[in-house]
Amino acid sequence: MRAENYQARHQPPSNEYELNFGPNHPGIEGNYALKVRLHGDTVIEAKADGGYLHRGFEKLMEQRLWIQNLALVPRICVPDPAPMELAYSTAVENLCGLDVPVRAQWLRVLQMELSRIAAHLFTFGGHAATTGMYNPMYWGVADRDVVLDLFEELTGGRVYHIYNIPGGVRKDVPDGFLGRVASTLDYLESRLPDYDNLFFTNQVFVTRSKGVGTLSQQQALELGVTGPNLRATGLAFDVRRDDPYLVYDQLDFDIPIEHAGDAWARTLVRRAELKESIRIVRQVLERLPSIPGPIRAPIPNPLAWNVPAGEYYARVESSKGELSWYVVSNGGARPYRTHIRGPSSMHAVQVLETLCKGARLEDVAQIMFSLDACPPEVDR
Amino acid sequence: MSNEISTELVCPDISQWLCHLLREVDGVTHNNRFDRRQRLDVASDALPALLTLLQGKGSFVHLSAISCVDWIKENEFELVYHVWSYEMKVMVSAHIRIPREPGRYLSVYDIYKPAGFFERDIFEMYGVYFEGSPWMEKFILTEWDGPPPMRKEFDSESWVGDHFDWQDYHPDWLKDIEAQGGGIAIRPEEQRFSRKAKDEC
Repeated sequence: MRAENYQARHQPPSNEYELNFGPNHPGIEGNYALKVRLHGDTVIEAKADGGYLHRGFEKLMEQRLWIQNLALVPRICVPDPAPMELAYSTAVENLCGLDVPVRAQWLRVLQMELSRIAAHLFTFGGHAATTGMYNPMYWGVADRDVVLDLFEELTGGRVYHIYNIPGGVRKDVPDGFLGRVASTLDYLESRLPDYDNLFFTNQVFVTRSKGVGTLSQQQALELGVTGPNLRATGLAFDVRRDDPYLVYDQLDFDIPIEHAGDAWARTLVRRAELKESIRIVRQVLERLPSIPGPIRAPIPNPLAWNVPAGEYYARVESSKGELSWYVVSNGGARPYRTHIRGPSSMHAVQVLETLCKGARLEDVAQIMFSLDACPPEVDR
Repeated sequence: MSNEISTELVCPDISQWLCHLLREVDGVTHNNRFDRRQRLDVASDALPALLTLLQGKGSFVHLSAISCVDWIKENEFELVYHVWSYEMKVMVSAHIRIPREPGRYLSVYDIYKPAGFFERDIFEMYGVYFEGSPWMEKFILTEWDGPPPMRKEFDSESWVGDHFDWQDYHPDWLKDIEAQGGGIAIRPEEQRFSRKAKDEC
C-alpha cells in the first residue's frame, strides 16, 4: 500500500474532514473502501476505492483451457457463485451450439434458486449487523449453512460448486436428496416469521432504513441499476422473466416490487424473493422426478477442445441483479476474451457514491448493505 | 424515460422495427442473430448518433456493458456497446473498431452514465483513452506501473518472471520423500521461472 493513495484528494476547509471508510471495516462488504468527505456528520462527497480484490480473472481466463476456467469462474463472487458458472457455461454452449438436456436445465434452476436463498440469507445477516442487531446475523449465517449442506451433498462443494459445465451439470441428485431439500425448505419457511419479528418489522431496523438511500426509478434507470435494487423502485424487471433462460418460462413465480426505493424497500424485495425462490424450488422438486434424460450433452475431449469462433453475451439474474458474460472465441483452445459485467460494478461505485452524498455518516453502512454490493464483481 | 415505464412487449417483430429505426443513421449494418440478441456493426464515427437514437427513440435506456476486445493481428480494438430495451426486451450489441494506436475514442457518458465505469475500466486495462469521460484515472490498478495488462502483448507470466525471484521449495521433509522416489509433480529444475533456470540463462 503506497502512502500517496491515502492522501486527501482535496485540501479540505477547516470545517471538513476526510474519512477512509474501509477497506477493512464492518460496514463494508468485502475488501472495499469509500473515501468519505464530511461536514459534521453529513457526507459531502463519497469516492469508491476498489482494487483490493483484483485477481485478474479476465486475463487468467485467456491463458487457460475452456474447461479449466470452470474452476476460476465461481471464485469471482463468494456470496453467490453459482450464477457465474451458469453465465460462463451458457456462453460456451451458445458458441458451440450445444443443446442442454432438459433435466440439466431443471437441475440448474434448483442450484440457482438455492444459491439465491443462501445469498439473501447472508445479506440479511450482514445488513442486520449494520444496525447493531447481531442475532439476525448469526441466524442468517447459520441458516445459510443449512443450504450449504445441500450444496455439499449435491456438488461436493459448499461454497464453490463447479456444478455447471458446458453442456449440462456434473452430477444428478443423490438418492433421497429431493426429500432433504423439501425438509430444508419447510424449515427455512418456518423461520420467516421469526425473521420478521426479529428483523424485518423491528422498529430499530425500520427507523434506520426508511427514507435512507432513496433512489427514484428514473435515477435507477440512468445509473444502470438492476436486480432487487431496481425492483425496489417499482419496475418489475427480472432477467428470468424478461430475457428467459433455462426453464424459467415454465415456472410460476412473481416478481416482487416495492415503490419507496429506499434501503427498507430494497430489503423487503429480497425478503419477498426468498419466499418466491422457495416456491420455485418446490416446483422443481415436484417436476424433476418425472423428467428423464441425460444430465449433460456430449462435448469433445475437454483437453483438446477448440470452441468455434464467435461471440456471445450471456445474461442471468443473480441475487444481486443482472450478471452478464461477454465471451469471444477465435476458434482456439482458450477464450480469446471474457468480460464480466457484475451487477455490483454499478451498485458499488456510481450508485453508492450518489446515494452517500448528503447522507449521514451512520447511514453509509446501511446504504452499502442495502445495495447488496459484492466488491469482487467490481475488481474481478 | 418516465415512472410509467412498461416491461410489456410492444413490438413483436423486433428485427423489422429495428431495421426501420436504423435507416436514420448511416454506417450501420444490422445482423439479426435471434429475436432477443441483435448485432450491429457500426462505423466508429456513427456510434454516438446511433446510441443517441437507440436511447431516445428506441427505448434502449439500459447500457448493460461496454466490452473491449484486443485484435492484435488486425492492430485494432473492438468496442462493443450492449444496450437493452425494457420495453422491446431486446439486447442490441453495437460493435465498432478503432485503431490500436493511438487508442482514443469518444466517451458516451453524456448518453449513458454507466459508461463512466466501463470506460475507466477499459482505460486501465487496455489503455484506450475516452475523450470527454469524467474518470480517465486509475481505479483498480492504483499501484500498477506496467503497461495496460489486458493488452494481448502483455504476457503476465513473463512479467512475473522478470520482476520476482522464484524460490525453490525444497524443505527437509520433502527431501526424505524424494529419497524414497516421491516428491512434487514439477521438480524445481523443470519450473519455467525457477531461480536456477534464470541463473543459467
